[in-house]
Amino acid sequence: MVYKGKYTVFKIRSSPWSIWLLRVSWFLWLLFWAEFTIGSWKELEQRAFIISLIIFLVSLFLGLLLWLWGYLKFKKVKS
Amino acid sequence: MNRRDFFKFGLGGGGLAVGGGLTSGSDKRPSSSSQNIHGHPWWVKKIRIPKLAVDENVYSRFNARKNVFGSFSEYYKMENRRELMRKSREKRIKYYMENRAGYRLEDRALADAAWVISRLGGLNRGTRSWTSKSVPTPEERGVERYKGSPEEATRLIKSAARYFGAATVGIAILDRRHIHSQERGKEIVFELAAEPYEDEEKLVIPYKCEYAIALSVQMSLENLQRSPTAISSAGSSMGYSRCEFLVAGLAEFIRGLGYVAIPSVNDLGSSVAIAVDAGLGELGRTNRLITPELGPCVRLCKVITDLPLATDNPIDFGLLEFCKVCKRCARACPSNALSFDDEPSFQVRGEWNNPGHQAWFEDAPKCLAYWQESTSGCSTCIPVCPWSKKDKTMIHEIVKASSAKIPALDTFFTTMDEAFGYGRQKSAKKWWYLNLPEYGIDTTQGKG
Repeated sequence: MVYKGKYTVFKIRSSPWSIWLLRVSWFLWLLFWAEFTIGSWKELEQRAFIISLIIFLVSLFLGLLLWLWGYLKFKKVKS
Repeated sequence: MNRRDFFKFGLGGGGLAVGGGLTSGSDKRPSSSSQNIHGHPWWVKKIRIPKLAVDENVYSRFNARKNVFGSFSEYYKMENRRELMRKSREKRIKYYMENRAGYRLEDRALADAAWVISRLGGLNRGTRSWTSKSVPTPEERGVERYKGSPEEATRLIKSAARYFGAATVGIAILDRRHIHSQERGKEIVFELAAEPYEDEEKLVIPYKCEYAIALSVQMSLENLQRSPTAISSAGSSMGYSRCEFLVAGLAEFIRGLGYVAIPSVNDLGSSVAIAVDAGLGELGRTNRLITPELGPCVRLCKVITDLPLATDNPIDFGLLEFCKVCKRCARACPSNALSFDDEPSFQVRGEWNNPGHQAWFEDAPKCLAYWQESTSGCSTCIPVCPWSKKDKTMIHEIVKASSAKIPALDTFFTTMDEAFGYGRQKSAKKWWYLNLPEYGIDTTQGKG
């Protein structure tokens, strides 16, 4: 292959549009809570900061867990 | 594109536009911050007359002696007041001995020191003189007085006011009923005169002074969140001192343009009524002004002038509906002085209230008695208000805009506000370790 070693190739697994919608929603949800967390920290609002940080981290963790579960399922089917 | 524009035209605006149809008011038109740098956020509507009604047959000029500061001994009874003072003194000493945070020597010294500029003025006294001319008049400069259009003059006044420390500025035609009938033992009268003046019996405002410039000064929310301590008290006193500087500076500026200017803080007349007319905010459950940008976290002052100006409209940002369901200030009030009524009414609570207008009237002597009891005043109703927010996160703008457009969400917002811990008292001790900006305020707040 001519291009071998010249490019890094990212492969994006094709998924139904509903999955993409879910991913985008999750990303926006995370963005919202991240902004809220940083803002609350700047506002010196301790309780709002802690609650928003927890929601952000839980959302991030659950999302990643779901993503990992889907990825492992895909790998299993492929193999 | 700033954050407001983002909400207006972007994500937030799309969602809220749907809710916009749920509100009523055919004579209302939206204000735009992009058209006017001194305008309100896009979700604030201009209206023709303030939402709370005035009984034209009853509402009249108020004798300042009847306000709670003027007649506290009468309202609270002298013997009760003496007892209150005695308890307050004992408590002060007890707190000193305990080295209680917020009531220590340094806290009280800060609160008292922050009054320093405010003490320089009073009704037609010192920095609030009605005739002082510390700047050269146009005559002295050998030129004609300022001849710009009312719109141009308004732009100058608003820019100068902002420069002297105003958070928001509004202009109204002066409703003379907002001016006290008597103060400091003298009558306040309107006369055909070239200049305002004072003699042995009266203070005279010239008829030609038809315009009222309503001004708000931001207070430090970080201080007020320490209420009721001397740290919180310092937030209020700093607000008053900054008002003093603002009205003195603005009045001299107007005199420098060749016109009459009468500066005033809490004296002379109701700053709240003038501010409502001038569209700075709405009257809230505390019977005080609540602004869309800073909530109730403001001190008010005003300048009366004969300089022709373009006036602003009263505003509606859904506060009346919000206050009906929220009631957080009433629940948080340690003296139980605020009304829990669902609807505002014409029914006053005592002689300290000026009758003839709709409001949630407060039991002012109870409030003032608690100021003594706490030994350092109280402003608890201000930081607990969900409209008192710093604007470091988008959520506050989203909530405010949604509340203005969809009143059905108000109960949910109030519950969430409490759940997220807003309005909770903060540590007075920690205040001394904060890295706060000048005056403890963010002067860019509410400016888009």
